[in-house]
Formats: sequence, structure tokens, C-alpha cells
Amino acid sequence: MWHSELGQFLTSSNSEETRLEAIPVLNVQPKEFSSQRRRSDTERREEDPESPFSFAPQRMRINTDHDFFEDGDIHRHLYLQDVATSVAVASQVPTVSEFRCHISGCHQLFNTLESYEQHYSSVHRHVCSSCRRHFPSNHLLDIHILEWHDSLFQIMAEKQNMYQCLVEGCSSKFKTNKERKDHLIKAHRYPPDFRFDRSKKTKRLPRKVEQQQQSDVSMDVGCDAGMDCREPVARESMEPSQSQNPNNLEVVMLEHKPKSNYSSKVPTTVCFGAGSVRGFRGRRKK
Amino acid sequence: MWRLKAVRHKARPQEPNDGEELRSARRQREKVLRQARRDQQLVSKRRVQEDNDEAEEEGAMDTAGHVLSKEQVVELFQGLQHGGARKLDYLQTLRKALRSPEAQLVFTKLENSIHVMVGLLSSSDAQCQMEAAHCLHELSHSPEPTVAPVCLPATPYLITYLSGQSAKFTELCLYTLGNLCAESVAVRDKLLAQGIVPALAICMQRPSFAVVEAAGFTVSQLLQTKDAPDKIVPIIMASGIIPHLVATLQPDPQFGMGAAIECAWCLHYLTCSNRGDGTLVDMGTVSKCSSLLITLGGAVAKGNTEEGIELLIWPLLRCVGNLLAGNGLDGLGPQLGDSRLLAALCVLAQAFLHSHPSLAKECLWVLNNLTADSSVFCSAVLFLNLVPVLIQLLPFSLGINTMVLRILANIAHQGTEYCSQLVHRGLLPALCATLKMADPDVVTLSLEVLYIALFSTSQAAEEFMKLRGPAVLEAIQYNSLTEMRLRASYLLDHLLSTHGHM
Repeated sequence: MWHSELGQFLTSSNSEETRLEAIPVLNVQPKEFSSQRRRSDTERREEDPESPFSFAPQRMRINTDHDFFEDGDIHRHLYLQDVATSVAVASQVPTVSEFRCHISGCHQLFNTLESYEQHYSSVHRHVCSSCRRHFPSNHLLDIHILEWHDSLFQIMAEKQNMYQCLVEGCSSKFKTNKERKDHLIKAHRYPPDFRFDRSKKTKRLPRKVEQQQQSDVSMDVGCDAGMDCREPVARESMEPSQSQNPNNLEVVMLEHKPKSNYSSKVPTTVCFGAGSVRGFRGRRKK
Repeated sequence: MWRLKAVRHKARPQEPNDGEELRSARRQREKVLRQARRDQQLVSKRRVQEDNDEAEEEGAMDTAGHVLSKEQVVELFQGLQHGGARKLDYLQTLRKALRSPEAQLVFTKLENSIHVMVGLLSSSDAQCQMEAAHCLHELSHSPEPTVAPVCLPATPYLITYLSGQSAKFTELCLYTLGNLCAESVAVRDKLLAQGIVPALAICMQRPSFAVVEAAGFTVSQLLQTKDAPDKIVPIIMASGIIPHLVATLQPDPQFGMGAAIECAWCLHYLTCSNRGDGTLVDMGTVSKCSSLLITLGGAVAKGNTEEGIELLIWPLLRCVGNLLAGNGLDGLGPQLGDSRLLAALCVLAQAFLHSHPSLAKECLWVLNNLTADSSVFCSAVLFLNLVPVLIQLLPFSLGINTMVLRILANIAHQGTEYCSQLVHRGLLPALCATLKMADPDVVTLSLEVLYIALFSTSQAAEEFMKLRGPAVLEAIQYNSLTEMRLRASYLLDHLLSTHGHM
């Protein structure tokens, strides 16, 4: 435990080992590390004056009045006034930093790293750049892109089994969507209305049509129940219990959820960059 | 530590309510102090209590036995005026009465009251002198601003008696003066003119720790005033007090930390005044403060901590921190030759993280000032294996993680070898976590450190990729703050161009 090692070091009477001068000083490289550290030597890189980074080490001098010193001063004065105790008051308890989802528009805060990562990977990570639907895994996203957005897919599907099983690790392929679904239900015991196994009839369905095709399976769409999309979305669904609960986001994706609430009008102001990230308006708090 | 001992045994909870009452009284007091500090009117007075006082007070806590009516106060005063054998009794009763603010007001409004009191103070009857001094002390403690100026006629005597023999009496006079001088400019000017500073200088050399503590308190009261840097500091500097302040920094095993605490706070106020860094350094302030920090760090690491140790640590940190910022390491080199200072700062930061997070933050501030632009200290941090300790502090807010990131940036900034060492000790996984935090300052600083690391060594970039770092940066590209988006994009571009796919 470092504490005891450091403790021994601190009370060491061996002046040789405590001398600062005895510590070897590593080589200092001057600040222009931009050009020298580039990997490829052949590539001639210029110095980067464009770099947005600005850190420079600085020693900070702090005045008596500065807020930085407030707690210590208060403690000192409490002592003078005979009210000091050895533990600080509740207001000073250090909090563990919160984590915040960076995506512009998503204002969620999280107490732990795990909950943040859970949120991010379930909502922001595997998003289709064409239709902006998102999926809980790369595997499902790949299948989606293949089946929905690959123009060759339909052609090839006529000749060979192209519909892959959705379960990772299962290499079965099927001729039709329905066969795959049957396989999922029989071999893998999936529910008949698994939300990520919906075929598309056409690329974008007007809402009314989608409602009628509830029993049809169509590939899942992005907006979750409870999400406050920009456009109001029809909430009619198979399940009466579908709620507008805004906190549902963290509910497991694979849960039985009925038809989509997706509005076909995704705000065009949302930018996608590398195409795999999505921002959305959320009015939820954590 | 005369006061904390008293508090400890006073705080015996009779019933559970007592504990809660004390706590809520303390919270209330704290709120008042914080507001006063914001208004730049943070002033406190000290009250000397005798042991037998406490016993009486406890007994009388539930009864209002000591609160006398106005008439009774007047009666006592009249008794005093007439003199005679009962003077002492009257004084003793009056002294207890004067603990109440109302009685204080009543007394000071009576005609000639101070004059009479001063007469008793300067009489040749030692017991009367003592009681009169106690009365004046109670008056000095008054929260009413009108009371202190009334006590002015007593001050020449109080100052004169500072060079007297009786330690107890001197102590009492010192605390009385200390309480008075915080009060108003008029009072202070008078005291300065009457030669309080040279008298304090003499007191500081007395062999009694209690006297030294009291003198230190009075000096600190003088130094905390708003006009201190211009008016008071030069006088203090010229008076020869400083070497004694520095010398007293060592806690005494028997007497305790009381005197050291007062002197340390004086040095802190002197340092902050920005009027004499050179002098302070020349007198070995940094050397003494840092060796004391090492001693205290060692004690804390071993678990031998006295109650109230943080009261001493705080001002020491501030002295070192500010003197470093003023001078740079060139002048201070010889005084900072012990590498254990770095270890002590880390130990203290870790130890006080939960009880006094501000203290932890100030330890880290000193580390920042040591490591900024210093290859010697940066190398030492690496060599002493303090980086894991620092990384453990990264989850904590209230300014702690930003300060740690600054320190790491200072080290990385020194060059490739430093970056390699940092990466080797777990810098990148730590950054991957801090990049996701809510505080934008934390994220910005993390990006800065990451920038330096990625551009310094290819091993950093490789490890960063393995940790799926780019995904984190991608997320930041969608942050609402432009500066963050720019930095994240810049880093991603660099990674893409040098490492191809991501």
C-alpha cells in the first residue's frame, strides 16, 4: 500500500535518498514537438500554428481574498471563535465528478462512468447514416445497412440465402425474412415481435401506414418510447402500457416494444460528421 | 491548542440533541463567516477562558445566572468607584457580568467607567490589575462596534504591560489588544502610534509558548485588515518579527501547535501582501515551511494526527505556494532540496480528500507550482512514483481534478521521455475517463494533456487507439462548446492521418 511506503520515505533519516539533486532528471524536449514527432518522415509536415491547444505550465499566485482560499479561512475563523471541529461541514463534501453525454442536445448527466457508457453505447453509437436509426450493436447495424441500404442485396437475395441470423455467432442464413424470423423464434427462442427484426416494406412509411402494419415486422427505428422528438409522434401502439415515461431511455433495448414512434422528419440541422453519431433533442434529465 | 481542548470537553453531548444543536450552531456560524468573507469583513475575536471559568459556565449554562440587570451593573460600578476593600469582589462579579453584550453596552455608557477601570488596571494591587484586565478583555470581545473605541484609554497601559513579567497577565493583555485592533481604523492607528509592533516583537521572543501564541494572534489580526499591505506590513517587516515567526513554526511536543498555527497564518498574510517576498525567502520561510510539511506529512501517513493539524497545514501550503509563484525556483532552489516535499503533498492531499477537500486542492496547487516548467520536479514526481496517487484523485471535483490535470500537463509538457513515463503509468485510461466528465474545464484540460501525449510518442497514440479513445473524441465533436469540438476534431484528424483507420 503506497501509504506506508510513502510514510516510511517521509520519515526516512537517510539524507541521501531524500535529496532532490539525487534524482535523475529526464531529458527535456523543447516545445516544438509537432514537427519532430510525426510518424512518417517522408511526409513533410509544417509546424502547426493552427493547433487549437493552448496549455502552458504556469505557477499560480493566489490572493488572500480569492475564493480558492475561502474554505481554509472559514476553518481558521471557526477555530478562533471556538467552534472548530476536525471535520468539515457537509457543504464541503467532495463530490465525484459527474459524467455528461457530450452530444449536443443530449443533456444527460450520469453519476458513474458505467451508466454514461451504457447510455452512450445504447443510444449514440451504432447509428445508420442513411436513415438515422440506431441499434444496440454493430452486428445489427451491419445487417440493417446490408438489408435496407444495399441496392445489390435484393438482387443477390434472389439467388442465395442472404438473410443472416441476428444472433451473433450463429452463421445461419435464410432466403427470406420470414424464414429468419422463424429460425429466431424456434432456435433462439426470440419473441415474435422482436423489435430489431422488422423488415421494411418501403424505405419510409408514412405514419398512417406504419400504424396499420403493426403486425408486420419492420426494422426498428431510432426514437425510443418516451423520447421527446421534435415532431410529435403518434403513440398508438400494440401495447397499451406504452408510456410517455421520459425516463425510459435506459430500459433495455431488447424489451418488447411495439411499433415505432419514429417521426420521419428528423431535424435536418442535426449534423452527423462521420455518420455514426446522432444528436437529438432530449428534455430528459438523468 | 488551548481552544480545541476546551471545545472537546465542552462538546460532551448530554443528550442527542446537544450534538445536533452544536452542529447546527456551527453551520449557522459558518454561514455568517462566509458572508462576512464575501463582504471582505472577516474578523474574529478570541476569548481567553480560565479553567475555573469553564466549570462555572457549565454549571450555569442552563440558568441565566450571570446576566445582570442594568441596575445591578450600575451598582457594581458605583461600588468600584468608592474603592475600599470590596473592590476585588466587585471586579470579579463585574467580570462575569461583562460576558453578556448587554452588560458591556451598559457599562461603557456609564460615565467615567473606563477611566475607573484603567485606574484599577494601573494600580499596584496585582489581583485588581488582573481582574481589571479580565474586564477589559471581556469588553474587547464585544460584537458592538461602539465598544472598542471606548476602550482606547486603556491601550497605552496594555501595551506597556506587555513587557511585564507575568506570562498570564501578558497573555491577557495581548488577546485584548488583538481583539481591539481588528476593530476599526481609528483604533488601529492609535495602537500603531503607541508602539504596539515593537512591543509585539519583544513578546515573540519570550520563552512562554502561550505568550508567543497570543502575540502571534495579535500580529495576525493586524495583518488581516484591508489596509495591511500598505500600512502595517512595512512596519512588521522592519520590526524584526519575521525571524521569530519562522522560528516558531515548529510545534512543541508539550505545548502543541497553538503558537505555530498563529505564526504560520501571519506568514501567510505577509506572503499574500506581496510586499516582501524577498525578505521572507531570505529568512528561510520556504525551507522551514516545506520541512514542516514533510514532518506533518509523515505524521499523517503514519496515522499520528492531532486534532486540528489542518489549521497548521493550511497556511504552510499557502506560503510555499505563493512564494513559489512569486519567485520561481531560481531563488528558491536551495530551500527546496528535499524531494520528500512532493511525497508529503500527495499524502496530505489523499488524506484530507474527504474531510477537507479544499485542503487537498491546495496541496495540489502547490504541486502545480512546483512542477510548472521544472524538469527537476517533474522528474522527481515520476521517479517517486507519485503519478498513480495523482491519478487516483482524478474522479473528484471541487477543483481537485482540474488541478491534477494541470500537474500531469506540466509533466507531459517537458517532453517525450516524460510523456512515455506518464503513459507507462496509466495516463491514457485515466484520460479516457476524464474526457467523459461533465465539467467542461476537466474535459478541456484532458484534451490538452492528450494532445501533448499523442504528439509526443507514437506509443501513446497506439495505446489510445487500443483503448477505443477515438470513439470518445468523436462524441466530443458534437459538444456544444466550439473549443472542445475544435480540439477533438484536431486530435482525430491527427490520429487518422498517422494511423490510417480507426
